[in-house]
Amino acid sequence: MIQIDGLTRAFHGVPAVSGVSFTVGAGEIHGLCGHNGAGKSTVVKMLTGQLTPDSGRIVIGDEPVELRSRQAAQRAGVALVDQELSVVPALTVGENMLLGDIHAPLVNRRRAAYAHCRRVLDDMGLEGIDPDQPLSTLSIGEQQLIEIAKALSQRARLVILDEPTATLTDVESASVFAAIRRVAATGCSIIFVSHRLAEVLELCHSVTVLRDGRKIATTPTADLTVDALIVQMLGEPPFRLAAARKPDHDLAHALRISGLRVPGRLRDFSLTANAGRIYALAGQLGSGASDVLRAVAGLHPTAIGTVELHDRPVPVRDPVAAARHGVAFLSNDRKSEGLFLDRSVGWNLTATRLPFFARAGVLQPRRELVIARALAERSGLPEHRLGDPVAALSGGNQQKAFVGRCLGRDDVFALLLDEPTRGVDIGGRAAIHQLLRRAADAGLVVLFASTELDELLELGDVIVTMRDGQIVNRYDGDVDVDGVLLMRDMTRGIA
Amino acid sequence: MTAVPVRSGISAVGLVVPLAGLAVLVGLAGTTHRFLSLDNARAILASTAFVGITAIGATLVMIAGSGVSLATSQTATVTAMFFLSTQQYGLVTAVTVAVLTGVALTALQGAVIGYWHANPIVLTIAAGFAIGGATTWFSGGTPVNPEVREFDVLNSTVLGLPVAVYVLLGVTVLAHLTLHRTTAGRQMYLVGSNRTAARAAGLPVGRVTVIAWAFFGACIALTGVFLASFNTSATVTLGGTLTLDAIAAVLVGGTAITGGRGSALQTLGGAVLIAVISDVLLLRGYSTGVQILVKGILVLAAVVAVHLRATRGRR
Amino acid sequence: MPAVSLLVVIVAFACSPLLSGTPLQPFDVYNALQGFAQLGLPALAIGITMIAGEFDLSIVGTYALGGMLAVSTGVSSPALGVLAAVAAGAAIGAAQGALIARLRIPSMPVTLATYIALLGLTYAISGGLSKTYPNSDVTLWVDQTLAGIFSPRSLLTLAVFLIAAVVLGRTRLGRELRAIGGDRRASRVAGVGVDGLVIGLFTVSGTLAALGGALLSYSYASANPDPGLQPLILAAVAALLGGVSLAGGRGTPLGLLAGALSVALLAQIVAITALPDFTTQLLYAALLAVIVAIESPGLRALLDRFRASRADRPQTLS
Repeated sequence: MIQIDGLTRAFHGVPAVSGVSFTVGAGEIHGLCGHNGAGKSTVVKMLTGQLTPDSGRIVIGDEPVELRSRQAAQRAGVALVDQELSVVPALTVGENMLLGDIHAPLVNRRRAAYAHCRRVLDDMGLEGIDPDQPLSTLSIGEQQLIEIAKALSQRARLVILDEPTATLTDVESASVFAAIRRVAATGCSIIFVSHRLAEVLELCHSVTVLRDGRKIATTPTADLTVDALIVQMLGEPPFRLAAARKPDHDLAHALRISGLRVPGRLRDFSLTANAGRIYALAGQLGSGASDVLRAVAGLHPTAIGTVELHDRPVPVRDPVAAARHGVAFLSNDRKSEGLFLDRSVGWNLTATRLPFFARAGVLQPRRELVIARALAERSGLPEHRLGDPVAALSGGNQQKAFVGRCLGRDDVFALLLDEPTRGVDIGGRAAIHQLLRRAADAGLVVLFASTELDELLELGDVIVTMRDGQIVNRYDGDVDVDGVLLMRDMTRGIA
Repeated sequence: MTAVPVRSGISAVGLVVPLAGLAVLVGLAGTTHRFLSLDNARAILASTAFVGITAIGATLVMIAGSGVSLATSQTATVTAMFFLSTQQYGLVTAVTVAVLTGVALTALQGAVIGYWHANPIVLTIAAGFAIGGATTWFSGGTPVNPEVREFDVLNSTVLGLPVAVYVLLGVTVLAHLTLHRTTAGRQMYLVGSNRTAARAAGLPVGRVTVIAWAFFGACIALTGVFLASFNTSATVTLGGTLTLDAIAAVLVGGTAITGGRGSALQTLGGAVLIAVISDVLLLRGYSTGVQILVKGILVLAAVVAVHLRATRGRR
Repeated sequence: MPAVSLLVVIVAFACSPLLSGTPLQPFDVYNALQGFAQLGLPALAIGITMIAGEFDLSIVGTYALGGMLAVSTGVSSPALGVLAAVAAGAAIGAAQGALIARLRIPSMPVTLATYIALLGLTYAISGGLSKTYPNSDVTLWVDQTLAGIFSPRSLLTLAVFLIAAVVLGRTRLGRELRAIGGDRRASRVAGVGVDGLVIGLFTVSGTLAALGGALLSYSYASANPDPGLQPLILAAVAALLGGVSLAGGRGTPLGLLAGALSVALLAQIVAITALPDFTTQLLYAALLAVIVAIESPGLRALLDRFRASRADRPQTLS
């Protein structure tokens, strides 16, 4: 039995989790739900030794434990299946299952290890996967299953699954569920964190909902429906009237995406979009929303489909060609795939528009300064910071510099943004939303993917909901839409 | 969010260490007999020139994030041979042929690295074997020893300094201007600073890589030309230890092997620093071994310092 | 890859009489194995660092220093010479490994600097000249013919490979080494003690390279202060032919053995058939070109596309 008692943690004085308590019985599958920023991942990190609580207790079995590191948590019997894979493609399936296992012997006993892995895989219904098979021969979804098998094979008393099914197909999810049930039947406690609410209701015995770092309720799933769960998560659902959004029927189509496919991620996506409007792709992790953007930007080497921008075909799979045709893409990972962190703000702002201030390939520093200043002003960055390395800026200002890179260019026709305000505070967020609105007003197609309801409703003229690699619904500007509706589209798993 | 400033420019620690080192060096040099003489200064510059020219080219490649080449010596040798065997067509033609050869061979490697994302180390080892093998094959292993000696003018001195020194300075200025004042140069820094981000932004990663390698090829060829002129003949071992000497100068200059940081002027400084230290040690009677040992320690110190400065605040 | 390349080279070796006109002698095999003994330990040293995603350039430095120390200290007792060489190699490797692991600094520039420094040290010890080893009993002993084709030196080298194969194949070290080479972040998350492994790794590679240098200088009865880059490059070629990837995460000691044997046999084939020397170089270039093509992410993306389109159909799972 796992008891969590008054868990509290703040970051820089801002509470992320305050006084959260709940109990997971032996053999219980316990759901943990909450909207973005509710504090789920902070709770998970405290349970797995990645963060120490400011106050509160964790009791495993009968004794309170102090989890100061991942290893300590592992010794205490806590296993984590993270969204981020911790399997190594270079190893075999079996080797991955034993990697980092503190119980694994120094000397391999091949036959025993093989039998052990075989048994765990069979338990999960993965008879088709051989422990001696290289992991790299499996699809991403299957690799995720091995990640789960690994946690299960390490004889844990508490297994925490953080969004394990986000990128899985229905068949794969079903085999994960079967495995989780079998493990729970052995007396192991399970915490299941997921956005797919129908799945949560199907799998779990009870659900704890967090909102703004506090526990709202723990309810047996027998007493719950998806809608009731959504209401618990959202409190007052963000609501938006059709009148506030702009209809787009009378405009010429600027961006046409048809039959876009990314094997394993995006099944079939088509969208026509107009210049001057903002299109929101609403989808959780693994829904395919961000894959649409990446594929259009040429960053999915396996993408298939046609993209036309102002009647010119844009080749997929070639990022340089996409940029040449007027597609600008902003990744959701601004640190590793966005900014040139150790370079100055000015350089980052002008990185993709060097020809604007170059004559025959020679840069004109004075013109560059003029352009950089104009951009800084436009994107709301203080001018005196132009020379500072962008890494020294706050998250919000970094994001402004990132967005600013694509503004005010007459050779950009489509602006694609993946999670445009991730890691940005409220003030910065409003400023970035304003920037995007102005970009649209200047005649660009703006297409963004987000998981945040407020953002989707606030910014999107047209909202397209996605799940499992395909479109669920499209809400044009003249249709009423609210958070519950979107949430329902985005979160219904297999049912 | 880390709000810790990561300054690329001047910082207290970043200055103290090199300054202290410099002070020690100046002290040592000043008290070394015959160090402070015009002849000695000339000797230092002259000994810097050959490796320096190649090192300047290697700087661009390293800044653009494609690491190092292990085929440098072989390329220098083959260009030297082309240069010597075309002497009868005049100096300008011979130099042009040599430079074009160097550019073609090296830019090709750059293309495979930039467009196909091949591993630079494996690729340049392969290229080194191919170029070295082909050189031996076509030269028959015998030295190229031309009868026409148009190259003598390259061995002369102007205002007391060898021509090679002027070429080194010219190449440095050119590289500096390329890096800081051209689109391609700016893109080299950006690609080297964050290749993934450059790709996502649609920057022409492949083309930029090729340009850097082409410039490098021209520099190697110029070194080959001077090596050939200096030795008046070329054998297959002419390139010698050029490969690593060039990398050492770039690293001592503070260019990061991971790309995105560094400059041509710094590399020139690195090359001169290595030459000055070797010279001081030589004048003080230390053996070649000690000189090489000190060079190795210097490279190590530079690598560690650059790495620490780059990661400070991020760790 | 390693099996294929070894097989091809063995077939070529067996066919070499067709070109040379004289039948193969046991002595030819002995010579090939001597070449293997010279190359094997540095190849193993650099190979294991490559499996772990590092690249230890300094092995040529330890190789040269090991030879010089063995010759200087092992005149009366050859074992003492080997011991001195191995101790120095281990110490240098450990220091480098600690620097690389603690500062998380790329290994290539660090080991390059160490290489230059060690070269200088070796020069300084020897005064820049080859140093002869007067104990000719030892020289005769290490290269004496055993069972027609072996020598104590080649047998020792083979034994080291077998030990490495057992250690990496039979303990969890092998999978952890490949894990940190394949994906270091994931390995850390999975709980692998990455820093300790890296330090141990460089200690072992320094030790192996120094041992190789010591044996070579006993065999030559002299130590060369500057072997140049050639031993390093051949060792890297052997490792690459042995199925190790520079990206890390792939390779086994037996693969490295096959790679080192391939390179040694190739050299011997060229010697037997009296082909001009540059043929070896062109052969290496061609082999590496194949490796470059296989490892190029362009081709891998194509493979991924194929694999992903297969995985797109969920029924493949059931």
